[in-house]
Amino acid sequence: MFKAVSNNPSAESKDIRWFYDQYAPMLPGYINGIVQDHQKPEDHLVAILTSFVKDVVILQEKCRLNNWLQLRQYAQSKLTLFAAKDHQLKPHPSLNKGRLDLLDDLQKRIFCAIYYHGKSVSYLAAAIGCDESEIRNQLKLSIDKMRRTSGN
Amino acid sequence: MEINKIIESGLMETYVMGIATEEEVQQVLSLKKEYPAFKEALELLEYDMEVLAQSMSIEPPASTLSKIEHEISEIQRRNQALQTTFEPEYRQEKSNGESRQEKYIQVESESNQMRVNKAWKWVFIAVFVLGKVFLACAIYFYLENRQAKEQIKELKIELKQKIR
Repeated sequence: MFKAVSNNPSAESKDIRWFYDQYAPMLPGYINGIVQDHQKPEDHLVAILTSFVKDVVILQEKCRLNNWLQLRQYAQSKLTLFAAKDHQLKPHPSLNKGRLDLLDDLQKRIFCAIYYHGKSVSYLAAAIGCDESEIRNQLKLSIDKMRRTSGN
Repeated sequence: MEINKIIESGLMETYVMGIATEEEVQQVLSLKKEYPAFKEALELLEYDMEVLAQSMSIEPPASTLSKIEHEISEIQRRNQALQTTFEPEYRQEKSNGESRQEKYIQVESESNQMRVNKAWKWVFIAVFVLGKVFLACAIYFYLENRQAKEQIKELKIELKQKIR
């Protein structure tokens, strides 16, 4: 699809539309978890999707992840300025929580810090005051909890 | 089984969350190649992460798609303009190994105008200047020769007169 986007002008519009339909609604939810300003998510969405489609051929060669994970990491890297802010290890109150409500406080803090802000295991271990294996364990437990609700 | 332990270790989760170390990434990639069960579990986790993101999705404003399409077409227009600017240079570099005849055939078939490499400008100038120099030399030597002939003729007359 990506090569078609860059090399085949006639297929381009259709492919962009397909990509947009698949991932555009997921991205504002994700951006909302990082960016505090409510006016900005649409601007970020346009900027991220545009540059993603533009840069994606290079990424496609390097990246081993599926489209959404690739796009999520790309968005996270583009929003580094916002993600790098010394956040309070608390999910943003206006966040569309969805399955996050299934998690206990600690799991929610760990999951959000990693998912939205890309915090490392070692950083979280130091910030929360526990060892790295506990952080890994809590991360796995929180993902498992949310996965179970979708039947997996 | 060993592989089940690895699947349960949380390695896959750190990988899909994008916080795995380079060593862990390499481990995941080799396990993915080696064990179909690991590959399957990883793909399922990636899919579930997508489903999870869908559950937290927010519908973007209706105008977003047209904004993105407009941005992309702007970028492409700029790229095409850049490509058109650099195309002749690219063609020149590309055809370094090709024959000169091959290089100009397409141009001749498309129009009556002939495109010539810029380097030829200096050759033409040099030929023109040399042509002028040769012409000046030719005139100079012609006049010199004519004068010399006249002097010889006069000297011969003088000599004849002296002999008499």
